[in-house]
Amino acid sequence: MFALSCPEGRRRDVRPPLLLAAALAMAAPGLLLTACSAQAGSASQATASAARSAPSQGAAKRPGNARAARLLTQAAQAAILTSYQGEEIVSHWGSSGATIVVSDIWHASGGQTITRTLAAGTQVSGGAYLSADTDGQWPEGVLGVTTPLVRLLEAHYTVVYVGSGAADNRTAQIVDARRDDGSLAARFWLDTTTRLPLEREVFDSAAHVISEDVFLNVRITPQGPSAAPVGGVAVPAGPWPDPLSAPQLLSMRGHGWLIPPGLPYGLSLYTGALAATSTGTVLDLGYSDGLSVVSVFEQRGNLAAKLAGWQKTTVAGHVIYAAEPDQRSLTWSSRGIVYTVIADAPAQTVDAVVGALPHDTPPGFWKRMSRGLARMASWANPFH
Amino acid sequence: MTHLGDRLSALVDGELDGAERDRAHAHLAGCEQCRAEAAELRALKRKLRGLTERAPAEADMTRRLIAITGPGGPMPPRRRLMRLAPRPPAAPAAPAARGTRRPGLVRRVRRRYVVLGTVSLVVGLGTAAFSAGGGSQVVPGPRITPPVEMYSVEHAITTGQVPFTGPSDKSVKPSAVASDPDATQP
Repeated sequence: MFALSCPEGRRRDVRPPLLLAAALAMAAPGLLLTACSAQAGSASQATASAARSAPSQGAAKRPGNARAARLLTQAAQAAILTSYQGEEIVSHWGSSGATIVVSDIWHASGGQTITRTLAAGTQVSGGAYLSADTDGQWPEGVLGVTTPLVRLLEAHYTVVYVGSGAADNRTAQIVDARRDDGSLAARFWLDTTTRLPLEREVFDSAAHVISEDVFLNVRITPQGPSAAPVGGVAVPAGPWPDPLSAPQLLSMRGHGWLIPPGLPYGLSLYTGALAATSTGTVLDLGYSDGLSVVSVFEQRGNLAAKLAGWQKTTVAGHVIYAAEPDQRSLTWSSRGIVYTVIADAPAQTVDAVVGALPHDTPPGFWKRMSRGLARMASWANPFH
Repeated sequence: MTHLGDRLSALVDGELDGAERDRAHAHLAGCEQCRAEAAELRALKRKLRGLTERAPAEADMTRRLIAITGPGGPMPPRRRLMRLAPRPPAAPAAPAARGTRRPGLVRRVRRRYVVLGTVSLVVGLGTAAFSAGGGSQVVPGPRITPPVEMYSVEHAITTGQVPFTGPSDKSVKPSAVASDPDATQP
């Protein structure tokens, strides 16, 4: 469970039983995926299309290397249980160029994490950020190695222990994630001593590196982080509360929200959250196959006539808007809902996801004429 | 015996006065030849009178023909721009003077202007409506500019990465982590 804007009292570390928290973290995604699969029949056409291209949601672990699976699970838990600090560099190469984010991280065992973005390449540098994850169920994690994502990784890929190596001048255990055709999808370097992730590389189907994340200058601090950021830390913008439970998320369908259980390229729904904004409620849906992560934000309304900081682009044959400068965020509106997609995924996956979600089809001649006359009449109406 | 001669035609035309007319009638009573000539002259005169009575109608016909063609020559060939306008009725027979516009022609020109204006209005309105009807269907609801920063934070947490966002006004104390006694335990 995580909360970014919870009351001050909730930020205090209540130090829950960590083993129970880890067990809940392991069980929650599976329960969510299973429940979502049961509702696939009532989803929209886009939902059905996406579901067809997704693997079985309740698929068991693939026949992989048990040692590799154990190492990844330990790595996800180590990100919660270990006190550490270090520097994280996240590099992502997309169709519009590279995005590099450099951050300092302080984490206390079982408690909260402080991150401060030092330089962000094409991104705007940010201030220090304090997480409010008090029970370790939804930790920020290190290099994308969290318990829910490890579960999905093992369901969609074959994980293989490769051997030992080195990263950041520390000995590491190397684990590969391979696709069905045997091609390499990702490689992880896990600290031999603590199991903390030290490095991760993600490849597309053409063997191109699309993401390279490293955790440098790692210091294991059993007594807790030695230095907090100077100048204070901040809760990031966005009143995101705790994630919705599976029944809560599924009940949202009855209120007119589109909640596909899966998206193309095997992306499974594994988390969701609701937040209130000045323009209404926003629903966030998180999809992943363990490596690629796509967030779909839905909000009722229409796109503003003029979108500052956005430019038109064509994705999957649809004219939509991309946020400048990195064009990592894509948005459009259809049938009274504004969709915004932010993806850490290969370009072809992003195209397929955008294509699978609803878009307005061009109106016929008479419908367009009727709509145009209605608009012109509204323009001429002085009381409109 | 002397026949009437030239006086016979004068008798038939009624141009003889009383004494000469009596003497002509007395001669006709006794002269069969002159009676026959007088009868032929009267018959010819009736035929001529009949011709002269039909002449005014024919003269009227001629004037109408002239009015149609006009004094400046024949009208230009008619160009029917649109089939929307009905064929105008036959032009009434009316005398036309050089330099004046005929009422029928004026009405046709006016009708053409009306038709042309109506067509232009319909085409222009249709084009404008077609243009205005494009774009996404707008349904009732707020106009939204997606809050990218807020979404990016949520996405970063979803991915298991660190968020990269600008400073917020929701600051907490710098020592939030270190001050928590439990948080410092391994």
